[in-house]
Amino acid sequence: MYADYAYLIVALPVLAFLLCLFLGWHLPRGGGFITVLATFGALLVSLGIFSETYPSEIIHQSMPWFANFNVGILIDPLALVMLLMVSFVVTLIHIYGNGYMNGDPGAARYFAEAALFSAAMLGLVYADNLLQLFIFWELVGLCSYLLIGFWYRKPSAAAAAKKAFLTTRVGDVLFLAGIILLYNNLASLNIALKPGEYLLQFPVIYAHLSEIPAAQLTLIALGLLGGAVGKSGQFPLHVWLPDAMEGPTTVSAMIHAATMVTAGVYLVARMFPLFYAAPYGLTAVAAVGAFTALFAATMGLTAFDIKRVLAFSTVSQLGFMMAGLGVGAAVGAVAVGVSMFHLIGHSFFKSLLFLCAGSVIHAVNTNDLREMGGVGKYMKWTMYTMLIGSLSLAGFPLFTGFFSKDEIIVIAYEYGTMINFLPYIFLVLAAVLTAIYTFRMWFSVFTGKERSNYAHHESPWVMLGPLVILAVFAFGFGWAGQDDFYSYLDSTFEHYDVDFVELSVIGGHEMLEAEHGASAAEGEHGVAPVEGGHGEAGEGEAGGEEAHGEPWYIQILPIFVAIGGILLAGLFYWDKIKKFDPSQVTGDKDPIRQMLLKGYYQHEIMTGWFAETIVYGTALICNMIDIKLVDGWLNWFSASVMGFAQHVRKVQTGIVQNYVTALVLGVVVLVVVITLAMEVGLV
Amino acid sequence: MIPLELYILLASTMFTIGLYGLVTQKNGVKLMMCIELLLNSANINLVAFSAYQPNVNGQVFALFSIALAAAEAGVGFAILITLYRLYGTIDLDNIKAMRW
Repeated sequence: MYADYAYLIVALPVLAFLLCLFLGWHLPRGGGFITVLATFGALLVSLGIFSETYPSEIIHQSMPWFANFNVGILIDPLALVMLLMVSFVVTLIHIYGNGYMNGDPGAARYFAEAALFSAAMLGLVYADNLLQLFIFWELVGLCSYLLIGFWYRKPSAAAAAKKAFLTTRVGDVLFLAGIILLYNNLASLNIALKPGEYLLQFPVIYAHLSEIPAAQLTLIALGLLGGAVGKSGQFPLHVWLPDAMEGPTTVSAMIHAATMVTAGVYLVARMFPLFYAAPYGLTAVAAVGAFTALFAATMGLTAFDIKRVLAFSTVSQLGFMMAGLGVGAAVGAVAVGVSMFHLIGHSFFKSLLFLCAGSVIHAVNTNDLREMGGVGKYMKWTMYTMLIGSLSLAGFPLFTGFFSKDEIIVIAYEYGTMINFLPYIFLVLAAVLTAIYTFRMWFSVFTGKERSNYAHHESPWVMLGPLVILAVFAFGFGWAGQDDFYSYLDSTFEHYDVDFVELSVIGGHEMLEAEHGASAAEGEHGVAPVEGGHGEAGEGEAGGEEAHGEPWYIQILPIFVAIGGILLAGLFYWDKIKKFDPSQVTGDKDPIRQMLLKGYYQHEIMTGWFAETIVYGTALICNMIDIKLVDGWLNWFSASVMGFAQHVRKVQTGIVQNYVTALVLGVVVLVVVITLAMEVGLV
Repeated sequence: MIPLELYILLASTMFTIGLYGLVTQKNGVKLMMCIELLLNSANINLVAFSAYQPNVNGQVFALFSIALAAAEAGVGFAILITLYRLYGTIDLDNIKAMRW
């Protein structure tokens, strides 16, 4: 019954967008309550669909659009968990936004754009074909641009919006190239489509993957990965995400932490069979993800802007998710469940952290960690909810982030035993740094002495309410049916009868395992995805791993990683146990510190060198060719026509007698010609 | 009875005079007069042919032509008066609004 109303999940926010856009100016608080109601309605429909379909049904509706394309709704476990998470988190952030944006003259514009974003994101999640997904993908990119540049009178915000748009555009072009390539390959197979089936629908893609040449699959996978890298802020297209913090904090929480940036991970998860079948497809994903996780974490260590710390952390955690998917080369489709678990958990605690940061910024009126300090005395609720979020992010035992991140590290270890240990090492190091930078931030904000004058007040309840709800989820989500979650998500690809054993042959994974002498090669691929690997063992997160036989120290390592990192941060930044002064350990002149502060000189390299020298130089040459050659020929042609006309126009003297003369001469000539013709006998 | 050839000679002489005036003269009023000559030479032809051929059609046409000439002269002089008001002259060499 709820399935019949699935379209409302997108339609309601679209309606809210229109209402806020045209009527928001006349409504109290810019009509924010409309947006809240719309996304809440989407949440209710999603919940209804969940209760109907759990655990073993999927919903697929579609109708023809044009040519070989359709529009449709595909709600399978993978889409459904995203739908629930997005509508839930976005609803809470809209509630918070009602308090945060109160009094802003552009509030109506904010809520209109936020509603459009919600619609686009939800539409992206349950699109049933790649083309539709791409359209919504572009739409969330547009909303991201609009909302980063929300305070467009501020030059830095306008520049950040432009940067975000252009950088993600690089990825989007690759994504589109991947889609076109995939379509061409599928079209050349001459598949006999049943009525209601279209080439770019996910079930059709899954069913015919094994018929596409392996080399083509790798190209397609790299194109799609390019899109995911751009959207999810992975290296080397991550540069836009820290700058995107120029937008309102609610936007950072909603778009640049919880939902839009996870679209890239979602895309890879959605196309996991393709990546799995493509030789080196998942290797590329693992490499990008693991490297980004460590790379961004190091930059998070030195940032002074509280939102930039969180932004680097988001980039790093997205790297974890990507790496989690990438190591699926070794563990199979289980990786999707593990990665999605971290994605959902991360959405809760990262949006919580952003909203807490917004609450602090709202009171302190600065983003700079150096000017905060001692805020905890006045903002108890914010302090404790942020503590929960930070513990979760740092991976403190029993918090959500612990379960999810630990799981990624464990499967990375499995990947290590079979293929390569590098992702594992990168991820463990990144996990240590995560704990350090998270608590550097938390201690700097809430403990110690006040380092500047700021208002001593707690935020209003419309902002604190969402914080508390998110804190409950940031703490409790990891406990709530982790095994059910895995087995539910593992069932995603069963609905489409994806044969991972067959795909692994194409992808060359079995050969890899044979080389490394893994005895369980057959069992890993054949059994794990089907039976839902982790879910089977059932004894908490550690129990599931014993089947694969990790040594005990691998399993307890993350606990020490988290606690050690937090203690280390405390030694530097918590006044109660402070042992070292950070400024004495590394002076301002320290080259490594300088390098991290400058973000590995990316700005200098990308903008200063690459953009201003190479790109600008190329642009100048192109400009010259365009003006001299392309335009030159056209201009010469039009000029010669004009010159000829200049001579011809002299006929129009404006003197009547000339015209009469011409007329008479014309008649005479005519008479002579006709007479001669009659003489000759022609007429 | 006067031979038909004389009428035709008269008409062609008038036509040639009118055409010559039209090409050579600069004064607007003279041009109007030349146009009248052209039209009337045609009228003479019409009437002469109609008299030599027992048929009144030609004379009817001549009457039409005279009425038409009157209307044309009215419009023509109205244009000339407007031109005079605008340029202070009706010397057509000086009126070059239609030049390229």
